[in-house]
Amino acid sequence: MKLTSYGRSLHELNILKDQGFEEVILEPKSLSRFGKLSKDEFLALSMRAKELGLRVLLEWDILMTEDVFTAKLKEVNDYVAHADAVRVQDPGAFGWVVRNTDRPLQFIAENGNHNLPALEGWVDLAKGRLERLILSIELSKTAIEGYVQKLKVPCELLGMGRILLFYTPRPLLSALAPEKMTMNGEIAALGESEESPHKGFPIVENAHGTFMFHIKEFCLVDFAHELRQMGLGFFRIDQRWDNQLLAEISGLVKNFDATGFETFKEKYTQDLMRGFYLVNKTDVLFPKLKNSRLQKREGDYIGEVLEAEKGSHLAIMVKNPKGLKKTDLLKILHPKGEIFESKIYSLRNLSLEEVDSVAAGNLAIIQFIGGVWVKSQVFYQ
Amino acid sequence: MTKHQLPEVLAPAGSLDKLKIAVLYGANAVYVGGQKFGLRTAADNFTLDELREGMNFAHERGTQVYVVLNSFLHDKDLEEVPEFVKFLEEIGTDAVIVSDLGVVKTVRAHSKIPVHISTQASTLNSESARIWKEAGATRIVLGREVSVKEAGKIKREVDIEIEMFIHGSMCMAYSGHCVISNFTQGRDSNRGGCAHSCRFEYSLEGLDTPEKKKAYFMSSKDLEGLRVLPAFIEEKIDSLKIEGRMKSHLYAGTMSKVYSEALKYYAEHGDFLSDDLINWEAELSKVSHRTYTEASLVEKAGADSIFNERENASDGEWQMVGSVIDANPKSGIVIEVRNAFNQGDELEIIPFKGPAIKVVANEIMDLAMKAVTRTRPTTLVRLPFVEGVSSMHLVRQRGKA
Ligand code: SF4
Repeated sequence: MKLTSYGRSLHELNILKDQGFEEVILEPKSLSRFGKLSKDEFLALSMRAKELGLRVLLEWDILMTEDVFTAKLKEVNDYVAHADAVRVQDPGAFGWVVRNTDRPLQFIAENGNHNLPALEGWVDLAKGRLERLILSIELSKTAIEGYVQKLKVPCELLGMGRILLFYTPRPLLSALAPEKMTMNGEIAALGESEESPHKGFPIVENAHGTFMFHIKEFCLVDFAHELRQMGLGFFRIDQRWDNQLLAEISGLVKNFDATGFETFKEKYTQDLMRGFYLVNKTDVLFPKLKNSRLQKREGDYIGEVLEAEKGSHLAIMVKNPKGLKKTDLLKILHPKGEIFESKIYSLRNLSLEEVDSVAAGNLAIIQFIGGVWVKSQVFYQ
Repeated sequence: MTKHQLPEVLAPAGSLDKLKIAVLYGANAVYVGGQKFGLRTAADNFTLDELREGMNFAHERGTQVYVVLNSFLHDKDLEEVPEFVKFLEEIGTDAVIVSDLGVVKTVRAHSKIPVHISTQASTLNSESARIWKEAGATRIVLGREVSVKEAGKIKREVDIEIEMFIHGSMCMAYSGHCVISNFTQGRDSNRGGCAHSCRFEYSLEGLDTPEKKKAYFMSSKDLEGLRVLPAFIEEKIDSLKIEGRMKSHLYAGTMSKVYSEALKYYAEHGDFLSDDLINWEAELSKVSHRTYTEASLVEKAGADSIFNERENASDGEWQMVGSVIDANPKSGIVIEVRNAFNQGDELEIIPFKGPAIKVVANEIMDLAMKAVTRTRPTTLVRLPFVEGVSSMHLVRQRGKA
């Protein structure tokens, strides 16, 4: 398992070199979400990285509407020409790199792509040009292990760094405080909401939009050994907001020691989390989100009680094409789950005439059945 | 004579009733969710029987039905897709709406149902549309950040059907690129568990000025594209989508009616220069909504697209009273009451076509024909029959202060 990280200065390139990194991700301001490098800075760093024997990965990870994309195409070749590989997230950039360059492609599949056929699909669409897939941090280790073994290309995973929660192209902070925009076109804030238990979400607005991060950072440093054994290709360390401990983190990833890790956590300014690495259960609450009244209605469903007038009648909207006959035996499911069974003693139509049957799409009025409420579901027994 | 092919009006149908309402009020197509694989976990999604019935109901009236499978599915979810897809094909589903390449491949491996790429995939440019076309998609639902002009260019360059949102609530994030709920509430927003954290009020530290510190800074105004209709037609956009499977019957009916009437007017007159434009806008404003914006349909959405207010601040002035269950001279107009009204109140019954029918509720009777002065929700009442009123018509009333 190799390490990868970002470089924004000559100093950072030197750290990466010293720590045994073989590559560096360079982010031009114009193409990358959090890029800081002007074109000249990019070219200078790219040249220096190559002198140091570091492979240069161009990060082109912004999402682009048609006009933005067209504008970016005017300059992207200047960057591509000085990169050994291109990392993209917009499927448009993916397609363009495959069709218009000879550079190897790395696809940031961090949003969605939580199944093997999707990941294999991107490999196929790249027509042999994909050299790496960057996996989602929402995947569990079981999923990661399976993908790493089955995919034809190496995989990368964020191992340590900020968790991006939200990305919009809209300017949300400058809308509130335009005077706070810095010379380099950025505004930063910390957000908290009374409706969320978490406080202090870092928020950044720049030329590409507004981004919000989790208050805790993602950290799998203590699982690096496990990931290496699984066969993960690349472990990414993202210290773009504070790179002071980059060397220490890479040291721990290479040679993990529990005591050193505890000491590191104490001095690291952010709390850490491992997200869904051990297990992803972000769908277990879904049954509770569903209204039980609505979990219903296959097969013998007749319809719904629209009115329950105590001591008088139930009005049922008949929905089953078979209609409702006076001889039918009913099973009625109360919204709270209680079940009532009954014969029909009186069946009337809307004109209050006694009838033998009521067709689908019509209202049937039967005798009141104690305990049955409006919204109860009616079935044939 | 119309010079152009008109786009379809694609309405949300969160339940079988809403499907019928959308179809009857003029939608050319509806989109629905099954019990799984969609993004509206809490919605009254369709059972298999209901899907079959809804499909038949819509097809008999010339309306298409698209089924959403637009969650970002995990491997274990994906295992159940083939069987469902075979069922969808058997009942004649017109298309499925998908946002994940794995689901695209699975659908294509097990059926011939056309695949539409959901807005959840945030397809924003022609190169991206080309990739999805190569993967087998027949239509792209573009991200809401794309302007109509850009959409036209994408259509011309890629030669694929293009669908765009014209109305409804909006994610502030690029669709599919918000995982706030996943990490803060343990609910996967891309599998239907969004907790709407973008609608919360936030305190922002670092922006100093005290009066600006608290804000609903991530909440978007609602999209409304009525006045952009000529541009959609000009750019040959194939389908205009209305957001809102979770929204009311009144919403499904009103939106289907207004947008289809507006397009019909265009078909007849070749323009929208009509007094009706004001009426259509008035109708749209009668339905509960946040302040409207054209968002990025014409120009990139800016600061004025933020809904920096507590929810419900811009609710429509009108509320739904109920819907007509039956109407004939013998049994009168039978209304299923959702919001109470009183004897003497002025109601509007909305026919499938044409202006609202005004009715004063002077005589109200219950189902057993006893006189009533004040109705109650979840009951059925009768009003005297009025010509032109039929079952499934929606009934509304100006909201009471
Ligand atoms: S929280 Fe808001 S932006 Fe995020 S997925 Fe939900 S609606 Fe969209």
